[in-house]
Amino acid sequence: MPAHYFKYATLGLALLGTTTGAVASDADDFPSKPIQFLVAAGAGGGTDNFARVVRPMFEEAIGGARITVVNLPAASGALAHQRTANGEPDGHTLDFASTTLVTSLAAGQNPVGLDQLTPVARMQSDVMALFVNPERFEDFDAFKTYAEENPGKVTVGGTHTASPDHMAFLSLVDASGLDMNFIPYDSTGNATANVLGGNIDATTTSLSPLLSYIDAGQMAPILVFSDERLEDYPDVPTTVDNGWELTDGNDRAIFVHADTPALIVARLEDAFKTVFDSEDYQAYAERVNLDYRDGWMGGDEYRQRLESNYELYTRLLEND
Amino acid sequence: MLENFLGGLAVVMQPLNLLLLTSAVFIGFIGGALPGISGVILVVILLPVTYGMEPTTAFMVLTAIYGATVFSGLITAILYRAPGTPEAVMTAFDGYPMTQRGEAGKALGIGVLSSAIGGLVGTIALIVFTPMLATMALRFSSPEYFALAVLGLTVVASLGGRLIFGLIGAALGLFIATIGIDPLTGTSRYTFGNLNLAEGVGLIPVIVGLFAVSEVMKRTLDHESHQPLTKVKVKIFDLPILRQIGNTLTRSSIIGVIIGILPGIGASTAAMVSYSETVRWSKHPEKFGKGAPEGIAAPESANNAAAMGALVPLFALGIPGSGTTAVILGAFIMHGLQPGPMFMLTSSDLIYAVFAGLFIVNFMILLFSKPFIVLFTKLLNVPYSALGPIIIMCCVVGTYSVRNSMFDVWLMLGFGVLGYLLEKINFPMVSIILGLVLGPIAESELRRSLSMSQGSFEIFLTRPISATLLAVALLLLAVTLFMPLVKRARRRAATGPSFGE
Repeated sequence: MPAHYFKYATLGLALLGTTTGAVASDADDFPSKPIQFLVAAGAGGGTDNFARVVRPMFEEAIGGARITVVNLPAASGALAHQRTANGEPDGHTLDFASTTLVTSLAAGQNPVGLDQLTPVARMQSDVMALFVNPERFEDFDAFKTYAEENPGKVTVGGTHTASPDHMAFLSLVDASGLDMNFIPYDSTGNATANVLGGNIDATTTSLSPLLSYIDAGQMAPILVFSDERLEDYPDVPTTVDNGWELTDGNDRAIFVHADTPALIVARLEDAFKTVFDSEDYQAYAERVNLDYRDGWMGGDEYRQRLESNYELYTRLLEND
Repeated sequence: MLENFLGGLAVVMQPLNLLLLTSAVFIGFIGGALPGISGVILVVILLPVTYGMEPTTAFMVLTAIYGATVFSGLITAILYRAPGTPEAVMTAFDGYPMTQRGEAGKALGIGVLSSAIGGLVGTIALIVFTPMLATMALRFSSPEYFALAVLGLTVVASLGGRLIFGLIGAALGLFIATIGIDPLTGTSRYTFGNLNLAEGVGLIPVIVGLFAVSEVMKRTLDHESHQPLTKVKVKIFDLPILRQIGNTLTRSSIIGVIIGILPGIGASTAAMVSYSETVRWSKHPEKFGKGAPEGIAAPESANNAAAMGALVPLFALGIPGSGTTAVILGAFIMHGLQPGPMFMLTSSDLIYAVFAGLFIVNFMILLFSKPFIVLFTKLLNVPYSALGPIIIMCCVVGTYSVRNSMFDVWLMLGFGVLGYLLEKINFPMVSIILGLVLGPIAESELRRSLSMSQGSFEIFLTRPISATLLAVALLLLAVTLFMPLVKRARRRAATGPSFGE
């Protein structure tokens, strides 16, 4: 019965046509409904500012869309990741997250694994560094000698346990073998105040919030977590100078549901790249002092980086 | 300095700035009066609006909103026992009983005056002492915070009512404060795998539930008759009252400024501590919680003073002293300014304009609060069958908006039921709030101190400020516990041996 076969064949082809057509038009029609930016952090913080600044630029780059920003700070942002991973895989829910995503995952505080989310792009990477009161330690050598002579006495502050600050500390201890204590504070400000007041010895945190103290000569970076020395601080050694491969910063990136069609992810990545390259965005990055190194990293490259960081952080926390 | 301040005043007096400042005060009034809408949220909402403004104008507006919200939380706290902001929770303890006695106007008047005085003391401290106070704040580290929290917690013994209830309440507050991921080790405590509990139980769901919701339940379920207050006359300057609360105002404003400038603890703690100290130093501690004017004056002058004090480390060091000032710090960075040790030198024009703006704002509070309060008192004439649901609706919306979390709303309603039940046995709610606010400070600062000292308790005694605070706490505790015994013994000695008792 050739007629029968023919009927089935056309039906099959038609079905195939609709499915492929649907995929193509998904990416073409994107966005087909309002887009939601889920911010995995509280209102008013760095990640929140980032999402809110990017919003109008992204709207233009994607060709017009209605965008709402929702802050979901609870559980270090885990709720934002959960809502993204459990939502529709159509690219209309974007998760704006920091490095805390992977650090909290390694600490077992975030139930959403890296296999449930697809990174679209990384747009910022604030350089981490070890900071001291310059009156107390002249440079990293002096600090290192003191730490070696006083094992277990040196106190280093930073934000809460399993934060990017804590990971920088743990990775430094792991690489250098120095015996030091980490004291977790509620905020960068509190850790900074304790270094300024001479209550603790140092802090491991990102560079941009501390620039004004460096300019005033009250704080000094003595070790930068970077492969190259920073232009503004040519005398400050890097981790790589010491033979330690620690170059992770505090990143801010965008994630979507893991099953989002590749074409839509690519479309989103393009739009964010357009935003990143725009003058407006670069002016913002300069204003908030995030122009020390190139923040951009495409989705695929960033995924590999996150996976290797996840392994490293899990190991560091287990040994701690 | 005076020259700088006058220059700032000239900037504030520009018509457009004055207009914006007035609108900011009104926005702050409304936001502060609605339960759940706090200064943090208002500042975040209005932040994008200020991008188009001159930085000076933008920060005058943001700080004015901040100042006004801290003030206006008292209105709903006094009238409906629904504190508009966490800072105003202590005000409800004595403010609401006064309203029930038909003295709403008097209570509001005391609140407005105390707020303005506290705010002015705080602003003056801000203008005159900023660099000096900032250095002092840096001497405060974990051992000092711990000692301060201990000092606050010992007041449980001085609160009226049954001591055992006070202890249970404080323990309950301390317990609620332990829920969530432990910030020092990252271990989950009492979260039962629920992500919503990972960040802990927020202050707002607990306060709104225990106070506002429980009150609506009480009046609905117990068919408590509602006497409409036909006329509430707010009298702000009342000389006899002013004489009565003068000492309280002075002490609380100073406590407020000092606690305000310490980074990390804000106006809610200041209100808490000054209320406790007022109870402790009062000759009639039993009157508190039943409508004592000092019970309004203490928290209101302290929280406004602390709100201004919290700006000291922000301007002098770039370190925020509270939640809202942390958002304002973010706003500075978004405007391309870098608060830090050099900020006072590089941006002195801006800073003094902001100072002058805040100065004016405190007078605006005195001037404009009356018509605004009258609006709210009019609502007292609305039948409770209509007003109750509106209060509940405001509570739900406000609580939801803090973290966009429905879980928090259920939590709030749960605490409403708990509050209703505890009220039936005359449980002192103030002790729960005491434990909840001071618990996290005491716990984490104790552990941080021990990390600093490698486990030695000596750190609390070798540091002068913490040693003094702990000694004062111990002394006051001893006095409150033994005073009644001494008095009884004296009475017995005076009346001679008696076997009748």
